[in-house]
Amino acid sequence: MLKGFVRNFKPLEILNEQQIEEIHTGTLYVLRETGVRFESERALKLFEKNGCQVDRNNNRVRFPEGLVEECLRRCPSRFRVKARNPNNDMIWGGNTTYFQALSGMQTVDLDTWKPRTPTRKEYYDAVTVLDALENVHVIPWYTPWFGFENIPSVMAMPEGLAARLRNSSKFTCENYSMGCEVFNIQMAQAVGAELRSSMAASPPLTFYNDAVENAFRVIEAGFVLLLTSGSVYGGTSPATIAGSLISGNAEIIAGIVLAQLIKPGTRIIAQDFSFPQNMRSGSPAFGAIEISLHQAGFNQMWRKYGIPTDGGVCYPSSKMIDYQAAYEKAIIALVGALTGTNTIWIQGALYGELAFHPVQAIIDDDVVGMIGRFLEGIDVSDETLAIDLINEVGPIPGHYLTKAHTREWWKKEQFIPKVADRLTYPEWLKTGKKSCIDYAKERMDEMLATHKVDPPLTASQEEDIERILKEAREHYRKKGLISDKEWEIYTKALRSPNYPYA
Amino acid sequence: MESGFRRRFKPLEILTEEEVDAIHRGTLDVLQETGALVYNKRALKVFEKAGCDVDFETERVNFPPDLVEECLRKSPSSFHVKARNSKHDLIIGADNVIFFNFPGRDTVDLNTWEPRAPTQKEHMELITVLDALPNVHFLNAYPYFGFSGGIPEVMKEIEGVALRMRNSTKVTVAIANHDIDMFTIRMAEAIGTEIFANPNTSSPLTCYTDQVNACFLAAEYDLPSMIWDGATSGGTAPASLAGAVVLSNAELIPYIVLLQLLKPGARLAVANLVLAQNMRNGAPAFGEIGISLHNVAFNQVWRKYGVPTVCSSCGPTSSKRIDFQSGYQKMMPAILSAISGSSVLQLYSSIYGEITAHPIQAILDDDIAGMIGRFLEGIDVSDDSLAVDLINEVGPIPGDYLGKAHTRRWWKKEQFVPKAADRLTYPEWSKAGKKSCIDYAKQRMDEILATHKVDPPLTASQEKDIERILKEAREYYRNKGLITDKEWEAYKKYLKESGRPY
Repeated sequence: MLKGFVRNFKPLEILNEQQIEEIHTGTLYVLRETGVRFESERALKLFEKNGCQVDRNNNRVRFPEGLVEECLRRCPSRFRVKARNPNNDMIWGGNTTYFQALSGMQTVDLDTWKPRTPTRKEYYDAVTVLDALENVHVIPWYTPWFGFENIPSVMAMPEGLAARLRNSSKFTCENYSMGCEVFNIQMAQAVGAELRSSMAASPPLTFYNDAVENAFRVIEAGFVLLLTSGSVYGGTSPATIAGSLISGNAEIIAGIVLAQLIKPGTRIIAQDFSFPQNMRSGSPAFGAIEISLHQAGFNQMWRKYGIPTDGGVCYPSSKMIDYQAAYEKAIIALVGALTGTNTIWIQGALYGELAFHPVQAIIDDDVVGMIGRFLEGIDVSDETLAIDLINEVGPIPGHYLTKAHTREWWKKEQFIPKVADRLTYPEWLKTGKKSCIDYAKERMDEMLATHKVDPPLTASQEEDIERILKEAREHYRKKGLISDKEWEIYTKALRSPNYPYA
Repeated sequence: MESGFRRRFKPLEILTEEEVDAIHRGTLDVLQETGALVYNKRALKVFEKAGCDVDFETERVNFPPDLVEECLRKSPSSFHVKARNSKHDLIIGADNVIFFNFPGRDTVDLNTWEPRAPTQKEHMELITVLDALPNVHFLNAYPYFGFSGGIPEVMKEIEGVALRMRNSTKVTVAIANHDIDMFTIRMAEAIGTEIFANPNTSSPLTCYTDQVNACFLAAEYDLPSMIWDGATSGGTAPASLAGAVVLSNAELIPYIVLLQLLKPGARLAVANLVLAQNMRNGAPAFGEIGISLHNVAFNQVWRKYGVPTVCSSCGPTSSKRIDFQSGYQKMMPAILSAISGSSVLQLYSSIYGEITAHPIQAILDDDIAGMIGRFLEGIDVSDDSLAVDLINEVGPIPGDYLGKAHTRRWWKKEQFVPKAADRLTYPEWSKAGKKSCIDYAKQRMDEILATHKVDPPLTASQEKDIERILKEAREYYRNKGLITDKEWEAYKKYLKESGRPY
């Protein structure tokens, strides 16, 4: 099992108990008075049957407090999730933090920073890099990219999942679009892996049918359901962080009630994937400090509810791997870890959800290693206080460089990043002025040359994957969701000699 | 008075009470058993009179625990410092957080990233930018270490102080090397500003003559002191972090005791520049995360002592460029120190170690400071910000918050908008020339240099005083043999040609 990083001190808390109560009360009020709109007959029936007030005129569901609190209680506070390789299983919840790669729609050119669709080979190679990275514990949906060249967009999710199942044995995820979850779930079951999937609200206070259908399917398969709001403060939720916490939580809780009514004890993870509104351009203000504030408050609310959290979504506003991207990502991930997010998204993303690069993932992995080291805290013991040693060494000219104590302890105390520039100026000038990007490129080449997925799919599992993909292709072709032109390009690409890896 | 940012939540703590106590006991033990070397006859006499165990031959002082604790108690937990313009008066301590700059010996070429001595104009530009930036609350010594053009080494910082006093009305620091503070403190007095006296430790456990003299000057002129500890864990301090905290405490305390004996109630803050030893090349491992663990623990211990702390390790990075690595190596220690109780963050303008600095870096750091300041404010929880009635009114889709008066009223309060960050969408960004944060910082620098005026400029009489004291300093160091004939000739040439004073 993957240990993740255990936080060895109390989490940072920025809300006091009174404020937590006020947010909770406000949330219950919204659920009871305003309600949440569900565009799903199946869901409305289930809510009605269990004591909710359902208004068929506008598909609004109003939730009694007792049912809300009961359903929150039914969620396990800690649970195991199973990867294809049990060594990559995890236990989510409590004071343990895991890290996830963070996707982007396209890849970028590292010189011009121009985005473009990746090739199939780049996709599979990037999965290999993520499988090799020490601190990537989860490879989520649409990761590394939304899709790749020469496949119809409706096949992006299944093809992507197939790549992740083939080139990685880490825990992965699927998501819904045009009902593709049917095929995704089958693929996972064929290789003995669990998946995390999501039920995403459409803020404000709305769930559409595809989200609900996916939830039913995922719960039936016995997989993990992530509930998310995804609001933008000042757009689809109030401009205030406190107000956004209420409306976002109301959305998530409505989804949790549905999940627990479908199957009590369903494993749930609550996600904070929300941003302030950039009031000039209208897009989300990625990398904004309010994201960290919201996340801190979110974690306190869900720690009260006893449900693991997901979040710390480290999308920068910067379009390049640069100073701005770093400070934007690092603070979101660090505050997430300090305030108790259980699964944090960071490795690989550039601007918004629009760009990803494996070199970025490799650099981010050092940031994660640093956060992990910080969460360990400080060992305070007779040996580490080293009073006798300090008295022995005394003042100048005494020093610690040659001491056995130093040789033993420095490695335990220091975290050494793998791709950071740590040279002195003379060394750096002599060795070609390498930056972290240069080192990361070298590391990527090494990984691609040496890393092997453990274990590879068996021949029979590979057959199953390909069979399910074939069924999906035919299904969407029949449904008219793949045009003739797309089909021609697609089937030609499938005949590539290096299929499926290139 | 611009007071900085107030932290509105309890600080992050990573040690238990027992662990803090163990560190304190260890600190007292080291001070009693080993003590410190104090190379200063005046001080030895003061210590002996107060009941310390003093060996006048070896110049070793051992400190009794009750004296230590009494002097810690006497140090105020918060205090004011007066600037030349009262707008820039400082509050140090009391949950208040302010920022200043970390030195860089040289400037750096923003294309080749190679260091070189700055010209006088470049030195002045850095000072002007630091004076203009609203979140730089005071100026450190050595923004650059001098400037090219013929200044002798020993006069570099004295000329630098004069330059700061002419181009800024913010408080600065009087370093004590070679007792130059004899002159710089008098300059401060002449122009009606306070200045930080600056006795620094030498690790391990040693106090050199000129540093100790600074304490006497602080008492004589009733000035606040800032005391730096710069041990390297694994080199001049134990490799174990807990031991490094004990040692840094034990090194700082002799100065605190002296300052309180000379003038009970003396204002002072302790600055943590403890770094880790890079065990490959012997340089400090700037940006290493263990350093932040040390700092957070240090903050917890000194909060118990009731003495304000300065975080200096958020200034230097191990990157030679303004890039992704330097971004995370600055943001992470900075946010960690702010949330764990540092009263002052020495964040601005430095790039690699203490070797390079640049005004562009300072402008980028201003956004980090603004983000941290916003985070420290926490989340507003009130009826208006909870916005339950508004949520109820807006309801589910098709409701939205964009057109609401509440949004117009609140978004500016909630959001921190950085001044030099790229926040454009992809299409906007491509069209506008793919600008990076560095491009925006350059624009901002140009604006500042075109418009910023020191307010108020020195009067003619104050300018005369500065020149008079500079002249005395030159003669003093010439007579002491610290300015060679060759240096003197070059200096005279510079003074003649430079069109003094600017």
